[in-house]
Order: sequence, then C-alpha cells, then structure tokens
Amino acid sequence: MPTIEFKLPDIGEGVHEGEIVRWIVPEGAPVQEDEPVVEVMTDKATVEIPAPASGVVSKHLVKEGEVAKVGSVIFVIESEGGGGGAAEPAPAAAREEPAAAAAPPAGGGTAAAVAAPPAPPAAPAATGRKVKAAPATRRLARELGVDLATVTGSGPGGRVRPEDVRAAAARQEAPAAAPEPAAAPAPPPSFPKVAGSREVERVPFRGIRKRTAEAMVRSKYTAPHFSLIEEVDVTELRAVRQKARERGEALGVKVTWLPWIMKAVALGLQEFPQLNSMLDEEAQEILTFHYVNLGIAVDTPRGLMVPVVEDVHLKGVLQLAAEVRDLAQRAREGRIKPEELKGSTFSITNAGNIGGVFATPIINFPNVAILGVHTIRRLPRVMSDDSIEPRDVMMLSISIDHRLVDGADGARFMVRVRELLENPALMLL
Amino acid sequence: MASSRRTPSNGEAGGLRLAEPPGVRLVKALAEGDRSLRKSFEGPLPEEDGLLRLYEAMLTTRLLDDRMLKLQRQGRVAFVGTATGLEASIHGSAAAFGPDDWVFSALREGGAAVQRGMPLYDYVAHMFGNRDDTAKGRQMPNHFQCKEVRFPSWSSVIGTQLPHAVGCALAMKKRGEPSIVCAYSGDGATSSNGFHSAMNFAGVFQAPVVFVVIDNGWAISVPSSRQTAAPSYGAKARAYGMPGVDVDGNDVLAVYAEVRRAADRARAGGGPGLVACRSYRMGGHSSSDDPSRYRSREEEEYWAQRDPLLRFGRYLEAQGLLDEERRERLHREITARIAAAVEKAEAVGPPPLETLLEDTWAVPPPSLRRQVLDALRVVAEKGEAEKVAGRFPL
Repeated sequence: MPTIEFKLPDIGEGVHEGEIVRWIVPEGAPVQEDEPVVEVMTDKATVEIPAPASGVVSKHLVKEGEVAKVGSVIFVIESEGGGGGAAEPAPAAAREEPAAAAAPPAGGGTAAAVAAPPAPPAAPAATGRKVKAAPATRRLARELGVDLATVTGSGPGGRVRPEDVRAAAARQEAPAAAPEPAAAPAPPPSFPKVAGSREVERVPFRGIRKRTAEAMVRSKYTAPHFSLIEEVDVTELRAVRQKARERGEALGVKVTWLPWIMKAVALGLQEFPQLNSMLDEEAQEILTFHYVNLGIAVDTPRGLMVPVVEDVHLKGVLQLAAEVRDLAQRAREGRIKPEELKGSTFSITNAGNIGGVFATPIINFPNVAILGVHTIRRLPRVMSDDSIEPRDVMMLSISIDHRLVDGADGARFMVRVRELLENPALMLL
Repeated sequence: MASSRRTPSNGEAGGLRLAEPPGVRLVKALAEGDRSLRKSFEGPLPEEDGLLRLYEAMLTTRLLDDRMLKLQRQGRVAFVGTATGLEASIHGSAAAFGPDDWVFSALREGGAAVQRGMPLYDYVAHMFGNRDDTAKGRQMPNHFQCKEVRFPSWSSVIGTQLPHAVGCALAMKKRGEPSIVCAYSGDGATSSNGFHSAMNFAGVFQAPVVFVVIDNGWAISVPSSRQTAAPSYGAKARAYGMPGVDVDGNDVLAVYAEVRRAADRARAGGGPGLVACRSYRMGGHSSSDDPSRYRSREEEEYWAQRDPLLRFGRYLEAQGLLDEERRERLHREITARIAAAVEKAEAVGPPPLETLLEDTWAVPPPSLRRQVLDALRVVAEKGEAEKVAGRFPL
C-alpha cells in the first residue's frame, strides 16, 4: 500500500496557488485512477483534479475555501500497490516528510535524493548528498570556502540559505582566529563574535492584509489628508456614563465610551454634513448623506475590519452600545457578513484601549473623514477660576479629505463634538 | 458581456454558434440522422477498410486527449491542447494525403501524425518531454514532430506554419517531386499576416498546397463571428485566386471528400486550394483555459449533440461496419495502448544534459560550450538537479 502525497500541480501556465473549491471524494473513500478527487480554482480556471492512482483518499490536507500553493501536498492516497503503474510521484513525496523517511530508502539513483533528517552540524554530511541551494548561495559558498555538503540548510525542504553559508564560514573561522592575536601590538579589545540570526520569514501578501494595503494606498494617494487634534474633558461624561452603565447592566448591555462618541459625531455630522459626504469622481458630483452610518474600525486577529453601524442619528446610546459590541465581536470571530462591512458615511477608529496620545488616521475611503479616539488620561488642568484640578482628558484626532472639506469647517466640527462630549446634556437638544 | 455590440454574423444566432450558418453553402456527406449518405454527395469516399481506420484514428485522438488532460491535472505532463470535437476535421483531412506528402500542423493536429504512422509512444514521450522525445525535450508539450511521416514541429506563433508550408510546397514543385503539402490552421490564424503571405504566395506561384482551416468557433476567447466579416472562411480563398470551400467539419466523409478533391487538384498541377471545416472545440483552448468564462453551456451542449465520433459511429453502424461490441473492444484496446505508452514514457528520464546544444548550433559559441561543460562538471560532482514537482517548464 504505497502512500502517495499528491502535490498541487501547476494546472495553468505559471499558476502559483489554487483555492480548494470542493472535495469530490471525501476522506476515507475509495477512488479509481483518473477519477476526479477535488475541484480547484486558480486565477485562470476551475478544474477537477483526478487521482493519480487507484486507492483510498486517506487525508485532505487543505479545507474547502482555503488556498494551497502549487507544489504543496493537498491530499494523500493509500494506493492499491502498483495499481497506478509508474504513476506514483512517491519519491518526491518521501522527500518532504521526515516521518516517511523512516522507511528504508529503496536503493537506486532517485533514492539518493531523499534528504537525510537535518544532521547535527558537527557530523560531516554524507558525501554525494544532493544539496539544495540557489546559484547565488553556491557562489557565496565558493567565495567563503565553505563546502555546501557540510552545511545544514534552514530553508524550506532543507534548502541552504546564504545565512547558513555565512554562519558556517563564521564557525570555520572562529577556531582558527583564536591563536592569532598573540603577537599583535596593542590588541583591540576582543568581543565574542556574534552570529546573529538573519532569518527572514516570508509569507504571501494577500487576504485582508493585501486589501487593507490597497485601500490605504488608494485613500492616501487620492484624498489629500489634513489632520486636527482636539482635547476633550470627559470628566462630566464619566459621571453620566456611570449612571448609564448601571441602567445598561439591567438590560445586559455594556456601555463603553464609544457609543457616546458615536452619538456626538452623528449630531456633529448633521450640523456639518460636508464631513458626511463623498466625491463621485466619475460623475463629478459631491454626494452628501442625510443619514449617518458609522464605520467602526475593529482590530481582529485577521487584520483590520470596519463593520458599519447604520442610522446612528436615529439610535440611542444603549442601542448603539449593543450594536457596536455585537458587530465588533462577530468581526473578531470572523462571522461578519460582507454587507455589514459596506455603506459607511464616516468612520471612527478607536485606539483608546491600547495607548498613544493622538494619531493621524488614514481616511476610510471614500468617506471624507475619520475620527481617532484615544486613551482617557487623568491629567491636571487649569479650570476657569485658575484652580488646577485632576480631570479626565481624551484626545480626539480627525483626518479629513481637503478636496471636500476646508480646515475651518473641520475645526468647527471638532469643536462641536467636543462641546457635546463635555456637556452630555446638550446631546438632548 | 456586451452582446449588443456583437454583430450576429458568420452563422451565429443569439450568441450561439450554429452548425449550419445561413447563406453559406456547407458541403455535407451524411444525410439527416447520419445513417446514410446524401444523394447530392459526390464523393470521393475512402476505400471501405479506410472507413474503420478513420474511426479508429478519431477515437485514438479522443482517448489520448482525455488521458493527457488528466495527466496534466495530476502534474505529470505540463501542457495539453485538446482536439476534442475536432476529430472529423483533423482525421478526415489527414486521410486525404499520401505518405510522401507533408503535413504542417498547428496546436491540435498531433493526432494526424499518429494517423500517418507516428508511434503512439513517440507521441506520449513528447508530452512528457523525456529522453525519447523526438524534440529532445526542447519543445513545448503538444507540439508534435515526426520526421518519418513528414510532420514538422510547430512554432506556437499563430499562422507561422503557413508560409513554411507554402515554402515546402514550392520546394517540392521546383524539385519536381510529386509530394504536396497539407497546411493546417485555425480560425484565429486567418487574421494573421502569415495567412495572408502564405495564401498570396501560394496563389501567385501555384504552390501544391491545401490550406485546411479548422474553424473551431473560438480563437481562445474570440468567437468566429468576431474574427472576420467575410461570410465564411472558405470565401477568403477567392481573393487569393484559388478555390475555397466550406464543409461540415463534424462530418468526416465530407471533410475527406473536399480535402481529397483539393489535394488531387494540387497534385495534378492545379495549384492551391482552401477547405474550411466548420466545427467546434469542445474543451478549453488549452489546459490553462476555462471556456465557461466566455461561452455558454447551451452552446457546448448544442455542439455535443453533433459530436463527430457519434455521427460517424452512427453511419458505420448503419453500414454494418461497427457494432457495440467492436466499439467497446476498440475503446479497450486503444486505452490499454495509451496506458502502456504512458507507463513507459513516465519511467524514462529527461533528455541527457549532453544533448543540451544539439541541433541548435553548427559550432556552438565558446561561452555556451563552457556553460554546458560547467553544468556537466557540477552534475558529476553533485548529481542532477531534482525535478520541481508540477511546475510549468517555461
């Protein structure tokens, strides 16, 4: 029962990866040679991949919806011995898994290709072992006088990297260097040679990271940003919030600072709607929204997501507290629906629970502005009667697209938001 | 799809490619239902035992393509361009030429080389690019060549084979040899400058060549209706001063008859001719293509009902030349032959490194010679580089 590890082939010309669309043969099910096992979608085509031999599909290594790299093992077949003729790409499979190397290498030419499990550096590697290394690395080895066969590769599949060669060169040098300095006059203070790791991890640039990057570049290079910082005294709001918290607890809602800020922002935006707008460049029109949908930036394990709380101008603080909490939680758990990430008219990024005094956030394009909320700190402040009091002080920063909003209006909006937060009763007006 | 901008022409109705374009005289041999010949059909027909050989050649191509595509999906061969759906056009035309004639192919006519006597193993060895590959592993897969059956390799560049074919035909004429040339191309190639040069040259110099245009409906994703404003591909011949005809490309006997007529004329000194075979490529352009992105399932199903193997099979059955048992036996035998060839080809290693510069230079420049010597020395010291699993070799 030879085990065949099936590696995703390049099913188009120059395809690097493919998404597993559907497993046609479930784990544990039998399959005949050339019968389809899995459907794979690449950027060129969606194709069915047939089994290279008859047997049982013992394992799927990639889940449906996940992306596999060309050359990586996607499923394993326990084949009926010899059924697939010369088909089995078994020698290649044996190379990857150290576990598989437990089987005695079948003598002969190709078996020599089986990489020995990484040998301790001390033991000189068996001669005749094929060394995996890029041409540049091989040249480096020649230049440094390092025999590649004695180097343990730290790269994928035991590939020797330039830093492995340099480390080996350093080891070769070290003992030789010891006796040397005796005769030298006024030897410089000698420090132990530090062979710091130069390991660099490479991960594919895609998914949320890539989409975030693209969105940020588009925003920053399209909208000329300017930023304003405003200091807000939230001492009074703290007292109000405390009362609201007790009320919220009864309803099972945790009232944080954010819903208050959302409320103040919604009121401010209704007064200064130019900050609640967007530019339709194609139509050459400015769209001004008479409703407020707030995008709330959420830091999730998979990256930045911006779920949207709709109709903030129509909702009370408790409802906002409940909704924003629910959206943020589902965003973190990856259960957010795509449509819940769309349709914001303005965005808020909350860095308050992490740190930092203020920021210059990048606008969540095509919004024209984004508000940054920062840590509330207890600071001494000069009061109107010149006394100095400890106060709860919060910084708000805002970045605005200068194409649609001028500095003065931005400042007026921020002043209005500050007034509302400093005097929460005004929000009732 | 901005279908509103597409002019319905060249036999397309509502975005669907028709088998019989209105306003075009399409030569057909098989009567409705495919069980007999039309009264109007004038022949010529292949001799009787040639009929079954023709069927076997078509079936071989169908099964080869099927297996090769699976091997490609498994990462065992790198690239395939199938002829599925085009077997009547390919094999009906190839059957009209003699063993001393030349065949210049495009991507999909490798089956014609097998039909002319190229060993099945050579075909498969080329797909693997192993040391038995007649192209010595240097060609892109699916670009067949076989010296023994006068089947040169193809450059991959659309239409380039056509001037080569005409040059070859003129050489035969100048040398006084009786050989003629079959020049294959697809519908897309009729828009290439090679097509124009070749057609014009052949017409002016009366080269003994038959242009077989296999109009399979799609030049990758460009439909035939967008390829030309001419009423048909056969009509193009007229402008070059040669006879042109359109045939039902899924009717193998019609294809044979018209290509044979043109071949006989060319051999008799009557100059070139063009036969356009109206057919349909059932698969993708190649193993890298996904036709569902540009054409409808409805169209594919329409053409699947006009499958050339199905149609010819019905005719042979009605003539008592084929039955279910014989069909199954053929199927089994050919499948086994292909499997044996695959097994053998896969076990054979790549071409030896020493052959790297063979046939490329009369006297290789010193820089290249040094590189090869260096490579050989490295291999002698370290062993050969390992095969990278499943990567496309370009």
